[in-house]
Amino acid sequence: MLEVLSTILASAAPATTAILLAAMGGLINRQAGIVNIGLEAIMLVGAFIAVVVSAATGSPFVAVVSAALVGGVVGLFFSITITRLGGNEIISGLGLNLLVVGLFGYLLPVAYGVQGTLIPTGLVGLPSIQLPLIDAIPLVGPVLSGHDPLTYLSWLSVPLVSLFLYRTAAGIALRATGANEEAALAAGIPTRLVRDMSTVVAGMFAGLAGAQLSLGVVTLFNKNMTGGRGFIALAAFYFGDARPGLTALGALIFGVFESASFRLQSSGWPPQIVQSLPYLVVVGSLTLVAVRQAWQTRARAERIALRVSSTPPGE
Amino acid sequence: MSRSAIAEVAAGPSPAAALAGRALEVIAPFLIALAVGGLVLAVTGRDAIGTYGLLVEQSLGGAQAIANTLVAATPILFTGLATGVAFRTGVFNVGVEGSLYVGAFAAAWVGFSFTTLPGPLLVFLAVVSGGLAGVAWAAVPGALRAWWRVDEVVTTLMANYIAILFTSYLVNYWFLAPGVANSMSPLVAAQAQLSPLVGSTQLTLAFPIALVATFLYWVLFRATTVGYRLQIVGMSPRFATASGIHVARTIIVAMVISGLLGGLAGAFQILAVNHRFIANFSPGYGFTGIAVALLGRNSAPGILAAALFFGALANGGSMIQLFSDIPLDLINVVQGTVMIIAVIELRRLGRLVRARSHA
Repeated sequence: MLEVLSTILASAAPATTAILLAAMGGLINRQAGIVNIGLEAIMLVGAFIAVVVSAATGSPFVAVVSAALVGGVVGLFFSITITRLGGNEIISGLGLNLLVVGLFGYLLPVAYGVQGTLIPTGLVGLPSIQLPLIDAIPLVGPVLSGHDPLTYLSWLSVPLVSLFLYRTAAGIALRATGANEEAALAAGIPTRLVRDMSTVVAGMFAGLAGAQLSLGVVTLFNKNMTGGRGFIALAAFYFGDARPGLTALGALIFGVFESASFRLQSSGWPPQIVQSLPYLVVVGSLTLVAVRQAWQTRARAERIALRVSSTPPGE
Repeated sequence: MSRSAIAEVAAGPSPAAALAGRALEVIAPFLIALAVGGLVLAVTGRDAIGTYGLLVEQSLGGAQAIANTLVAATPILFTGLATGVAFRTGVFNVGVEGSLYVGAFAAAWVGFSFTTLPGPLLVFLAVVSGGLAGVAWAAVPGALRAWWRVDEVVTTLMANYIAILFTSYLVNYWFLAPGVANSMSPLVAAQAQLSPLVGSTQLTLAFPIALVATFLYWVLFRATTVGYRLQIVGMSPRFATASGIHVARTIIVAMVISGLLGGLAGAFQILAVNHRFIANFSPGYGFTGIAVALLGRNSAPGILAAALFFGALANGGSMIQLFSDIPLDLINVVQGTVMIIAVIELRRLGRLVRARSHA
């Protein structure tokens, strides 16, 4: 039993990384009041930049940093359309996705002469790192050790994001902006800047997520390589109500789904059904939360009504 | 832009807004998007003007080209109307793609299952099933939003992927055409395939029916109580409630109409063009519908014009892909830019024009 769990989690860990990173970025954005539908597109940009820079410099480290930076820049542009030009976040996000998918579909054959997949010469992928001591622990070792650096970073990001959001002044300003922008503005918080910065950070996270796909999971760029992970990340932070711990749990569940889908497929489970589970989970969990809220509201209203009606008139 | 602001834009500009300003508002995103596409072409060393010239020629030059453009415009006219109904009601339905998939599957299923029925009846049943499947698909997030305020953006977006995967599952596991390796259903019965109106084109009754739908859309918002209610809910749900309009019910009505149009888009695409259900067949007709609705300001004539524009782009683009090394993906670049620009730049321009007309 434990061995099965260990095997499942060991293969789920690298599959979770990109979802987790993008979800962490998305939740920061969400907490600041922006729903980032463009994560998928920015991931794809990050994956591309990572491959191109890695091939050019031979350094996966420089490649990862570049992917994050370019992701941040795309995030900034995306943010400006929303915060300063009065654009709608959903439409801008969907537009960005179309634009980026179209751009790579166009560029790969026209500028690189390849259809779909780009493997430039000199491309170096991310190394996998064995954690000393930990990798010797039976069952736990394979789960926790032997992953690419971005996977470890994604794990670290969960407590760090949590600390940032709930224990720093900037994090509190960010959450205040998301909760009530007018009130935050009145309290002297530069809300537009805060929202822009949150999107930049989300873009950087998505860029890292893309780099993990193109240099960690495999070592190539494919125009379909994000495969909806940006939307699964969206699903994860909606599932987790934009809280780091719960969101990470959601990302892990979806990572398990993803890595299990190959295995389930060979044991007769339709892959389409397995792949649709994250989306079903999100619709289900959003509905449950909403129904519970509706009931609580009604119960409160009934209590108040009862109190009012049991109070004698004139008192 | 908030949701109510989208609905406000949808409802049309204030009477004071100048006609010239409005024309500029409508044309600007087209031009900017084409310029971005041209820039991409130029940067990659392609002749932008020549390409656009070829595009115009391939999409508008001659009866055959125009027929192909109308064929390409048909599904996105339906999805544009589907999106427009929801947006005007302030319901952010981005799930028309999902309705399109289930509608297409339902129509194909009727078409290849009841092969002994006479043509007109079979077509009728396939279209009705497609429409109803689309309604059922959209009604779920509609009801969730109306009753429990579940965010429809997320549910409809997720429902798209569920629909794409679910129909792919159905076709692969239950309805795979015999002897076909790809994920395709059997062909619909010959009598269910719509016959061309003109020569050897794929222009069928589907396009005139889409035009009728556009006219009904115009009538809906121009002359019916239901349309008025939809619009009031879109402008201000609180005002709607105060004037005795049942907001939850109105939201469901909007989603039902939206789902119906989305389902019809899929059904007609199967009966007129594809003749069978193919997994992942849509190049994003539902998402193009969003761009169409935005660019058309959710008005019937606007949506028609925008659908024709994107139809011409898609048709011309695929012809260019045949004749040169320029991939069809360029069209997505233009379309994506339109979506981003249509909501931002316009509002700024609109504000400028309004400020000037008040001065």
